Amino acid sequence: MAESAESAGESVDRPDGRRAALQAGVLALAGLLAPVVAGAQGARRKAPGDNVPRPGLPPATISPELIDAASGWLSPELRLVRRITMGLSASEATLAQQLGYSAYLERHLNAASIDDSAVNQFVATNYPTTVASLDTLSTKDSGLVQSELTNAMVYRAAFSARQLQERLVEFWTDHFNISFEKVKYLKAVDDRDVIRRYAMTSFPQLLKASAHSVAMLAYLDQTSSTSDAPNQNYAREIMELHTLGVKGGYTQTDVAELSRVLTGWTTEGKGTFVFSPSLHDYDAKTVLGVNIPAASPSTGAAAVAEGERMLDVLAAHPSTALFISTKMLKFFLRYDPSEAQIAAVASAYRSSQGNIKSMLRVVLSRQNLVAAPAKLKRPYHLVVSAVRALGAQVADPGPLSDQIANAGHQPFTWQTPDGFPDKIEYWSGDILPRWNYAAFLASADAADSVRFDVARFMTAGTAPAVVSSIDRFCFGGEMPMHLREELAAYVAPDPTDPSRVREAVSLALSAYTFQFY
Amino acid sequence: MGDNGRTNCGCREYNELSRRNFIIGSAGAAVFGAIMPAWLPKVVFARSANSSRDVIVNIFQRGGADGLSLVAPYTDANYYAARPTIAIPRPDSGKVHRGTALDGTFQFAEGMLGLLPAYRGGELLVLQGAGLSFSSRSHFDAQHFIEVGKADDLSLSSGWLGRHLATSDPMTPGATLRGVAVANGLPDTLAGAPKTLPIPDPGNFSIDGNGDTTNARTDWLATDYFRGTGLLRSTALDAAATIALLRSINVGGYMPSNGARYPDSSFGTSLRAAAALIKADIGVEAIQVDIDGWDTHTTADPLAGQLYNLMSDFADSVGAFWADVLQGSGRWNVTLVSMSEFGRNVRQNGDAGTDHGRGGVMFVMGHHVSGGRVLTRDWQPLATDNLEDDQDLKVTIDHRDVLAEIVKNRLGNPNLDVIFPDYTPSMLGVTK
Repeated sequence: MAESAESAGESVDRPDGRRAALQAGVLALAGLLAPVVAGAQGARRKAPGDNVPRPGLPPATISPELIDAASGWLSPELRLVRRITMGLSASEATLAQQLGYSAYLERHLNAASIDDSAVNQFVATNYPTTVASLDTLSTKDSGLVQSELTNAMVYRAAFSARQLQERLVEFWTDHFNISFEKVKYLKAVDDRDVIRRYAMTSFPQLLKASAHSVAMLAYLDQTSSTSDAPNQNYAREIMELHTLGVKGGYTQTDVAELSRVLTGWTTEGKGTFVFSPSLHDYDAKTVLGVNIPAASPSTGAAAVAEGERMLDVLAAHPSTALFISTKMLKFFLRYDPSEAQIAAVASAYRSSQGNIKSMLRVVLSRQNLVAAPAKLKRPYHLVVSAVRALGAQVADPGPLSDQIANAGHQPFTWQTPDGFPDKIEYWSGDILPRWNYAAFLASADAADSVRFDVARFMTAGTAPAVVSSIDRFCFGGEMPMHLREELAAYVAPDPTDPSRVREAVSLALSAYTFQFY
Repeated sequence: MGDNGRTNCGCREYNELSRRNFIIGSAGAAVFGAIMPAWLPKVVFARSANSSRDVIVNIFQRGGADGLSLVAPYTDANYYAARPTIAIPRPDSGKVHRGTALDGTFQFAEGMLGLLPAYRGGELLVLQGAGLSFSSRSHFDAQHFIEVGKADDLSLSSGWLGRHLATSDPMTPGATLRGVAVANGLPDTLAGAPKTLPIPDPGNFSIDGNGDTTNARTDWLATDYFRGTGLLRSTALDAAATIALLRSINVGGYMPSNGARYPDSSFGTSLRAAAALIKADIGVEAIQVDIDGWDTHTTADPLAGQLYNLMSDFADSVGAFWADVLQGSGRWNVTLVSMSEFGRNVRQNGDAGTDHGRGGVMFVMGHHVSGGRVLTRDWQPLATDNLEDDQDLKVTIDHRDVLAEIVKNRLGNPNLDVIFPDYTPSMLGVTK
């Protein structure tokens, strides 16, 4: 054990300790790698695409240099496709390269102009609860409502032509997280009438819609808050998680006061927002320095204006601009946005009254994106991106939803209001469900649920051709050299055996590089 | 289709040996370097010489458990006044549903009785008024600060238990797997731990697909991820090695000893799996299990419903673990510790529930725990004047005091200044 004590100590004391330790590790691996390398180099001689210059890629021989997933992502357009879609597909890659960076971004920002009728039709036909009225929804089995809501989400993510909208739906679903388990069918209403409807409008509009969402009010116990006994849960989370952020400059007193402002915001019937004057606290309040004078109980329904005013104050607060900008940058661009990047997006927020598209144009500038390191796909993203990469046929996304659940990322099941984490530390620990999903998808051959047509990947019957197909479909033609070699070596023994090719595809989807975007 | 082994050496022992070597040689040290901010003090590496080192089971009761229901001060009239409909009747109340006295001041709720044998056996210590000294009523901040072992410092993302593992030799030299979170993702507590994985179901950990090519595909993936960087790389390499390891243990068929019966709940099943991993003796020395659902803003009646059920699940599971692992065959050396991010308001709210508070309750269990008592510090009646912000039980026992004593005395790691940075713990006599 002395050597691990020593190397750990060096890691703390000397910045180069890590490199030295890694090099030692590589030497230890050399025995395992040698036969693989030999096979890979043999295959590489025939690999088409070798004539394509790939500046910046590491040499083909094994070196101790470690590889960042983004290091071979040379095309700005493909970087943009990776960020604003649920995964590269052959058709989106072609489209982006035809339109160019700005035009491709504008196309997806103007989602309403993209025809999505086929997907809408599929969802309405197969998942009728997603388009049902509140009265109808309230009579349905909540297990059915949940599975239809989840499957519709996964299907749209995979096949909607409005891909940036789906990314934003994912983002706002986490930001305004609601656990289906607690509110049941009300989340289906929230998904349709709040998240999807306002995903590409402005943050203040979205915030207001959420504050009137019966699902949100029920989820955060606002529906049981009264003037005699205000429940602080929603008041706290609206400031901590929805607008200002935990360091946004509010106090416990502000939480208590806002909870008094919001008394009376509740629901009636099957799930309709209502302001109930008899539950409201009409005494004077002060929230974030804003004085709300005492009112006569005869004010009645008009006292809802107190809460509306505070939502305006929260949406216009500088802390909200910073908090939302930072979160958007972290989701769409990089885990560690700079102060300057945050300031630029916050400035767009302030000058556009929180217009989401205006902010995204700043977040996703070419300059920002070409310098952005790779982000880890969360399981939902990984599952959908693999379907898109393979062009898999999906008649029933249920098995895909199950796979996402296996990896701990089933939509609408995060219990606490902070939403699923988007941190590499959280998701990187659980790798096996990713590998098992890849094995599932690559071998999927069920016409009534999920089917991957492997024949598309083996037209030429040689290992290099198989690898080139995988590269084109799954990596936009930017598959790292070492991965091409590793895959070719795996296929080489039997490139005309569909089982072997399916396994190679599963390995490509399991590979380190494919986990990033 | 058979695997012709062309892409690897085709010799399983050779491959596994190689994989083990490079994982030991690189991943642990690399992760260590990446998780330790430069400002942390120099590490004096903990040795495994202490043969009586305990395995630690760390339980997080997420949501803010109502310590004043779990372990209620039944002699305090303020408690009954503040909770007119959800207080638990005194042991001598004559009511059918009532508390069970732990001492002259505190009682267990009915749902907690699964822990009474361990308490009376002197191996369960209860700490009342414990929690995070830094005042936060945010679930997320409070959990994060407790888990990383320091409040309000964004430069620290690794967890206290992660840093314990990173600064101690493996209990079993060469262990493939040292830490396990029985969960879908790695909690912050274990962030940065070498040889540590989230394993939601330890009885089923392998790569799907054709069994004939499992080894070839596992080797291919280990080779591919070896070229990557960062956390995903190290967890992938650990996973590849762990697949082989867990294949050799029958966690699913595990039979508890001593007649112990774990509840058929998520938490009970997880603790049962923890017991199986410990008894398999494969070098797992830190296990985290979470139990969710303690955020009882509404209907927190401790005599029935959600809170009662949760307490029963918790106490029956931990009680079964005590009977099985600590009292059953082998009498394994384990310290179990459980905590929540905060307690709840002393006063109930308008929904027969309680809102976020401050001080809560911790539990510590083990052969070398100074148990059979409720430990408090400066305990005072719950009169408004004695409360924080006039509403909450004060935190008089910093959670780090409890954890640090366990780390030092039961886990044999002297690096408290790395595990709990910028904090000088007070030893309370948690261990003996």
